[in-house]
Amino acid sequence: MRIVLVMLVCALPAQETPAQQTKVVRMIAERFVFVPSQVKVKKGTVVEFRITSEDTNHGFHIPRAGINVIIPKRGRGEVKVVFRAEEPGEYAFECSKACGAGHTQMRGVLVVE
Amino acid sequence: MCRLAAVALTAISVFPQETQDPRDKRIEELETRVRMLEERLRALESARAPEKPAPAAVTPAPVAVEPAVAEYRSPISGYMDFHYNKDRGEQSPGRLDFHRFVLLFGHNFTDRIKFWSELELEHAFVEGREEKGELELEQAYLDFLVKPWLNFRGGMMLAPVGLINERHEPPSFNGVERPFVDTVIVPSTWFDGGAGVFGDLGKGFAYKFYAMAPLDATGFSAEEGLREGRQKGFQSITERPAFTGRLEFRGLPRLSLGASFWRGRTGFDLLTVNPRVRVFEFDGRFSHWRLDFRGQFARAGVSDAGALNLALQRRTGVNPNIARAMRGFYWESAARVLPRRFPHDLAVFWRYENFDTQYRMPSGYLPLPQFDRTAHVMGFTYYPEPDVSLKFDYTILRTRSALFPSLHTVNLGMGWWF
Repeated sequence: MRIVLVMLVCALPAQETPAQQTKVVRMIAERFVFVPSQVKVKKGTVVEFRITSEDTNHGFHIPRAGINVIIPKRGRGEVKVVFRAEEPGEYAFECSKACGAGHTQMRGVLVVE
Repeated sequence: MCRLAAVALTAISVFPQETQDPRDKRIEELETRVRMLEERLRALESARAPEKPAPAAVTPAPVAVEPAVAEYRSPISGYMDFHYNKDRGEQSPGRLDFHRFVLLFGHNFTDRIKFWSELELEHAFVEGREEKGELELEQAYLDFLVKPWLNFRGGMMLAPVGLINERHEPPSFNGVERPFVDTVIVPSTWFDGGAGVFGDLGKGFAYKFYAMAPLDATGFSAEEGLREGRQKGFQSITERPAFTGRLEFRGLPRLSLGASFWRGRTGFDLLTVNPRVRVFEFDGRFSHWRLDFRGQFARAGVSDAGALNLALQRRTGVNPNIARAMRGFYWESAARVLPRRFPHDLAVFWRYENFDTQYRMPSGYLPLPQFDRTAHVMGFTYYPEPDVSLKFDYTILRTRSALFPSLHTVNLGMGWWF
């Protein structure tokens, strides 16, 4: 009986592993687009965005999740954002740092299924 | 270890007969209890920290987190463009021109209702009744965001045509002046009042479709094509709206492909003729390693061009010789020559342009060869900082006419975005 219990306790994290899998999304921001602009993940996934800019500073803002970071300019490195996709739904993201004439069209969506 | 245990557990459950009854039942009960406890733990954690529904681990410099429905004003941004142009082979002196002083600002009423604007002062000085600079409201619109694939926009907007019209910040293109094709075939900056829809269709495709104020045929000319036909939102007459749209593919990193159109009647100020203008354009940008490429093709057609010429001749006394078709294309290659580790950047470029504002004439009219032009623009853009560009180019503009010698121009420019 003890052996079975030990197995169960160890097995629980193993059962959770598929739900907690990490997905790395390499994203490029440039006037006036995020590439990719649509990202789909399963509920429970830990999404790690690694975002670089091809030109100026951009913002990466997910209003529903309270995330708002600045993406460094071209050649100045990347920003890393970790998002735990716990609630299914659509999480729109947008540029939050004015970047040019088409700033407001720089948008995308993260879909948690 | 845990996985081994999981495998072992799975193995146990595969053979129900051998481990039947009380043990299995007990294990199931325990599993159910543990799951319930986990759910309760998650619920308690989220109740304790409601302001962080999805924790973010961020490097570097996170900005202050804002509530989801915050109303906030964007800080003022802008760009400036300062030029020196000198024609060679002519006695004309060089010209120093603060070409553009542009301020952009916006306001987020909610996460779904946003205002954006662009106010531009061209050529530094504006004075009434004289040909001086211009003060232009190029953008002032409201966005109503509904779904990624369906959003609404209304106000003063940029026509979504061509590479430059919507992406014209000085550090984002090479050359002191904008491409000729984006000046006379696609009359950028092309803006006017209107309303429409836009969105992201998924798989890298995005679209825009607007109804906008039409062009005014009385402004068309042989040399500058459609350029002076823009109404620019100055009490624009909208007897019949024009329709414009763009489909863009940007699903792959560093590749962008687009096609756009414009279609509308333009003779609202004329009694005898109401020509239809159709503009079709496609373009692409591609970067690989340290090389950048871009190209564009645009064609504009004017229906009833013969009747339009006669109508304008009756009005002004001069036949404007407007073509029934105009066409232009260009190709640009650029290489970033400094190593990536350098904090500065230097792009060396060459652009070939071919544009003809009298590509096809109405019957009874002959095309004038001076309007069939090619241009070689070569130079460099130095970026001491990604948002600051110091530009130099040498432009050779040739026509097919023997009467007009080729024009060589030296251009220097500073452009910046903030």
